[in-house]
Amino acid sequence: MTPEFAKGPIVRAEGLTKQVGMQTDTLTILDSVGFELPPAASLAIVGASGSGKSTLLGLLAGLDMPTSGEVTLVGQSLNRLDEDGRAKLRAERIGFVFQSFQLLGALTALDNAALPLELAGRANARREAEAILRRVGLGERLRHYPKQLSGGEQQRVAIARAFATTPDLLFADEPTGNLDTQTGAAIIDLLFDLNREHATTLVLVTHDDRLAQRCQCRLRLAGGKVVEREGV
Amino acid sequence: MVAAGWSLAARMLRRDLRAGELTVMLVALVVAIAAMSSVGLFTDRVARALEREADQMLAADLVMSADQPIPDAFRAEAKRLNLALAQTTIFPSMVQIGDKAQLTTIKAVTPNYPLRGKVRLGRPDSYRETVAAPSPGTAWGDQRLFDSLGLKPGDTIVLGERSFRIVEAIQREPDAAMDLYNFVPRLLIPAADVASTGLIQTGSRIRYRLLLAGPADAIKAYRAWAAPKLQRGQRIEDVREARPEVRTSLERSERFLRLSALVSVFLAAASISLAARRYVERHLDPVALLRTLGASQRLIVSLFLRQYVLLALLAGALGLGVGVMAHFALVSSLATFVKTDLPPLSWWPALSGFTVGVTLLFGFCLPPLLRLQKVSPLRVIRRDLAPAANERVAWGLGALVLCGLIGWQAGDALLAALALAGMGGTILLSATGAWLLLWLSTHLALPLGPGFRFGVANLARRRVMSVAQIVALSLGIMALLLLVVVRGDLLSAWARSLPPDAPNRFGINIQPDQRAPIASAFRANGMTAPTFAPMIRARLLSIGDKVLKPDSYKDERARNLAEREFNLSWGDSLRKDNRLVAGRPLNDAVPEFSVEESLAERLGIKLGDRLVFMIDGRRFEAPVTSLRKVNWDSFQPNFFVVGSHALLGGVPASYLTSFHVRADKQAFVNGLVRTYPNLTIIDVTVILNEVRSMLTRAAEAIEYVFAFSLLAGLTVLYAATLSTQDERRREAAILRTLGASSRVVWQAMSTELLMVGGVAGVLAGLAALLTGALAASKLFELGWNFNWYLPVGGLVGGAAGVLLAAWPLLRKVLATPPLRALNHS
Repeated sequence: MTPEFAKGPIVRAEGLTKQVGMQTDTLTILDSVGFELPPAASLAIVGASGSGKSTLLGLLAGLDMPTSGEVTLVGQSLNRLDEDGRAKLRAERIGFVFQSFQLLGALTALDNAALPLELAGRANARREAEAILRRVGLGERLRHYPKQLSGGEQQRVAIARAFATTPDLLFADEPTGNLDTQTGAAIIDLLFDLNREHATTLVLVTHDDRLAQRCQCRLRLAGGKVVEREGV
Repeated sequence: MVAAGWSLAARMLRRDLRAGELTVMLVALVVAIAAMSSVGLFTDRVARALEREADQMLAADLVMSADQPIPDAFRAEAKRLNLALAQTTIFPSMVQIGDKAQLTTIKAVTPNYPLRGKVRLGRPDSYRETVAAPSPGTAWGDQRLFDSLGLKPGDTIVLGERSFRIVEAIQREPDAAMDLYNFVPRLLIPAADVASTGLIQTGSRIRYRLLLAGPADAIKAYRAWAAPKLQRGQRIEDVREARPEVRTSLERSERFLRLSALVSVFLAAASISLAARRYVERHLDPVALLRTLGASQRLIVSLFLRQYVLLALLAGALGLGVGVMAHFALVSSLATFVKTDLPPLSWWPALSGFTVGVTLLFGFCLPPLLRLQKVSPLRVIRRDLAPAANERVAWGLGALVLCGLIGWQAGDALLAALALAGMGGTILLSATGAWLLLWLSTHLALPLGPGFRFGVANLARRRVMSVAQIVALSLGIMALLLLVVVRGDLLSAWARSLPPDAPNRFGINIQPDQRAPIASAFRANGMTAPTFAPMIRARLLSIGDKVLKPDSYKDERARNLAEREFNLSWGDSLRKDNRLVAGRPLNDAVPEFSVEESLAERLGIKLGDRLVFMIDGRRFEAPVTSLRKVNWDSFQPNFFVVGSHALLGGVPASYLTSFHVRADKQAFVNGLVRTYPNLTIIDVTVILNEVRSMLTRAAEAIEYVFAFSLLAGLTVLYAATLSTQDERRREAAILRTLGASSRVVWQAMSTELLMVGGVAGVLAGLAALLTGALAASKLFELGWNFNWYLPVGGLVGGAAGVLLAAWPLLRKVLATPPLRALNHS
């Protein structure tokens, strides 16, 4: 069966605005951002610090709600879903990789990677998690806790966790921001390999121009507005 | 940089307070100090009120008593110490009016009698209380004297060589209880008139009492001065020695009040330890930053120590303020119950509350604080670089501090040992139990949903932290449960020892053949026939092969006991108010003795010793085959020494009984006395009512103290949930980012909390069950009493309490958008 979004874009943002109330006035972090992204594409959101990149990523992923505007992911409007509805969509369709890894310190690499599978109620969660950890080169590190792993290894666990549920969409927030150049490059290779293997749409926020250049599409933000777009 | 330490520490403290970083610690400390000081202030005042109440039974703070006139030196020293002085002279004599005469106890009192308490004059239904003595030439008689001689106020009676106008009926003298077995009617006359009666002669049986009152320090100094100077026949009495039933009640209430203070110490320790842990966790980053900015390890520790000192002062001021106010609220609400004023506020308990708070703060904050010293500056780059918590040092120092504080607060080796055994046992039990249960929960494949599974798994994965949390919570819950049990035990023990139908009359001098008709008379009046105990006067001649020499005893009480004649009994030595503590019950077929435990201890009587008594010129010798503990406050006839039937059954004896008479049956008692003139009835209603009113007051105080400890317990629960708030918020955000629904997040968190609370509750319940049974048996002498409902109560209470305390936090966690929570983490 053809997925409902196959005919259209997998991500659609329309007039996305995010404002926060300050003591005296209102601060606009994101101002009327809109774009469409086709399935299996890769998009890099770039811009200086404070340009609104991470806020845009959070809104696209439904981790926060916009002040105005609409996000449609895999054919579903996030505005029409409540928090649990958005969580369900994330569980089934979306994966995440963060700059600070966001692993649970009390869980081993295997438990961390198995977590989204367990949440989705997969019977063979641990076996599947083990397979994907081996795929990212951590077959020997299954029982290690995050603090026993290097930064690169922790990010691999995070990537394994993100791909464990074979999502349609993967959001990555500065995935190499905490890593040295060499490790960062290896992580990027891994991300794009998996992106190809699973035909996953990739949306990433980055400072790294080399990483941005490897994406098919680019969106440059400045002061919360789109100042340059390429392919979207 | 070090020179500027205090101002920098003050700025850090201000910043931390503003940012809410220290809220938990401050709240925990304030509640701890407030609870400690309010409980301390209040219990100190109640304890002093109880003491004063008890003193009123002496009519003084201290009484020196002698069978010869008291030497002037004793009066001079009392005057030197600025103590108030009064004197009473007590002797038996006949009081006559017309052709009627009555053997009466005469008490001559100085004008300032009584020094404590009041004399109640008038009729039972309309009386007034006064601090006064009869004026010269007049006398006050008690109701029994009025009844037996048919007196009216204004009548003139003859006492020895002179006459007195009898002007008042005494309903109650504060120190009448001192002469509990002084069962004949009583007459009060002025001391100045004693000589003119001509009744004080050599060989008269007279008891001289010097009544003293004043500040506690002066009384203590006087006692210390007088004790070594006491000669044979002289003794110092205070209420604890004079009245065994009052002594028992006082000791019980003191112990309970101390125990409740100990509970506050436990709870405060748990709250502060949890709060300190969280504070340090949250300060790893700022400290790493300070380190990169060039701060040395020493500076870091010194800065935080100074911050803690400032925090302690702030918490101390707030805690004491709240404590004093809470204590006033407590006093004002109690005012409706308490007829007498409480003594003035003493600042010592407030200071001691503050000291305890500060000691707890440093005892439980120092080890986590030392962790900050080891923070690597590299943490600014790698957040996962956290120094390991030195749990062993933390627990060791914490245990040491608690032991010290408990030893200090308990002021009683048995109580301290019991509290520490309870604490140590609970830690051991809850740590082992928690470990076992967590192990089981991961190894049993339970058919649970992902949320529950995650909750259980989370607990097991953080096993060390979970166990520590369960242990801390267990201690808190155990202390609370123990308080419930002990309070219940204590109140029921009091209720049991003084039921509404407790005997209020003693009947003595009953002849053997009068027992049956008296019993029939009771039954004919719709009353239960009392039981009669035989009573034989005897003198103890020797213990084992040692002839009894009163002078050989250093202990004054022992000397008095050795000197006096004993009332022996025989037969059933193990009624319900007697408990066998050594040996076996009396065998009625063999000659043997059973001795009361404290008498045996004072006179050095051991199981197996042969006692020789002289009764009516005949020697009676038999071994001691049992030692008994006697509940003296049962108001039942009891005896220090009881012989077997084979030994004393054949000795002529009079009989003693006690029974309860309702107010409307007084005529029946009067009738009995008319029918059997030899029968003497002693009315102990007044004493009974005094004891009962004191117990009621103590019980009320306990209700209040209990409420405070409960409040402190809730703080522990609150601190326990807050201590893991940050971690939970981040975990919830990650779970929701990974697609968990709010139901699953809710299940995961509540499963974890319910398990922590439930496991801690069950284990605390078991520990409280054992400690409570131990306390009931050893501390309150109530026998073994197992409260099986405790583990179930602990389970439900612990789980529900933790969940309720965490409810606002869980709601907050669920309402926070995941992106914000992740950004904050």
